[in-house]
Amino acid sequence: MKKIIVTSMLVTLSFGSTVDEFLDSLKEEVLKTDLSFKSFDYQRGENIFLSKHIGKKGELVSCASCHGTDLSKASQNHFTGKTIDALSPKANPKRFTEKKEIEKWLKRNFNDVYNREGSALEKGDVITYIINK
Amino acid sequence: MKKIVLLGVISSLLFAASLRVSIKPVDNAIYEKECGSCHFAYPAGLLPSNAWNKMMLNLDDHFGDDATVDDDTFQILSSYLNLNSAEKSKQYKRSRKIVENLNRSIPNSISTMPYIKKKHEKIKEHLITQKEVRGLFNCTACHQNAKKGIFSDEDIDIPNYGKWEKK
Repeated sequence: MKKIIVTSMLVTLSFGSTVDEFLDSLKEEVLKTDLSFKSFDYQRGENIFLSKHIGKKGELVSCASCHGTDLSKASQNHFTGKTIDALSPKANPKRFTEKKEIEKWLKRNFNDVYNREGSALEKGDVITYIINK
Repeated sequence: MKKIVLLGVISSLLFAASLRVSIKPVDNAIYEKECGSCHFAYPAGLLPSNAWNKMMLNLDDHFGDDATVDDDTFQILSSYLNLNSAEKSKQYKRSRKIVENLNRSIPNSISTMPYIKKKHEKIKEHLITQKEVRGLFNCTACHQNAKKGIFSDEDIDIPNYGKWEKK
């Protein structure tokens, strides 16, 4: 009986939101190559988000070039001027609710800013920053 | 009094006629979402299908950006574009003109295609490159009802210049 209770508790605990599940899958991936890994880091994520790099278009940009530095506010695409809704899920509940969307934009935007895809560690860190800021 | 009312009716009819829909507005929610998150979701009737197909095969370098989509989305977007491309929408004036002016070219973009270049040649360069517009790709900066498929002169309002028809 105890076993059943413990198992059901574990199931309940591990059943989180889409973004929690996604972070868990990233954590598993990081652990494959780094057994000492503990958790994703807000500070590292902030640095990933705010530091500037020569992006895919050859211009020095950061994630904030399009998303701004106040993630609770809408911003503008640096190149087209199109409005981008607030990135923070605290201000915009639609954010980070669909795995497919999270994966699509991480792939695209790492390529746009870093000119390469992000590692599991980088993705986990930057998401941790975005959802907690 | 009757005359005034009649005049009003006639002029509003004329005005409505001048704001006619000259290209088929986007009517696909997935297309609108996927293509409209970074820029104006261009009506499919703005390019012939061979140009759309060329563009879709290069989504990893879409005007310098990564615009890749998953396979399912790719199929949905491709089929929408092919079913509604310029040569399939010739009942709309702009699509017809676009096709007529292609001169057998397969355009790389909407803003560099012959008909679009011709239609914008009278506009001073600085009005196009100014930060409120940025380039010919930004239809909605001046064509206020572009989303509804309206591209009439009367509907143009250029930032830092004003209505196009008056001048």
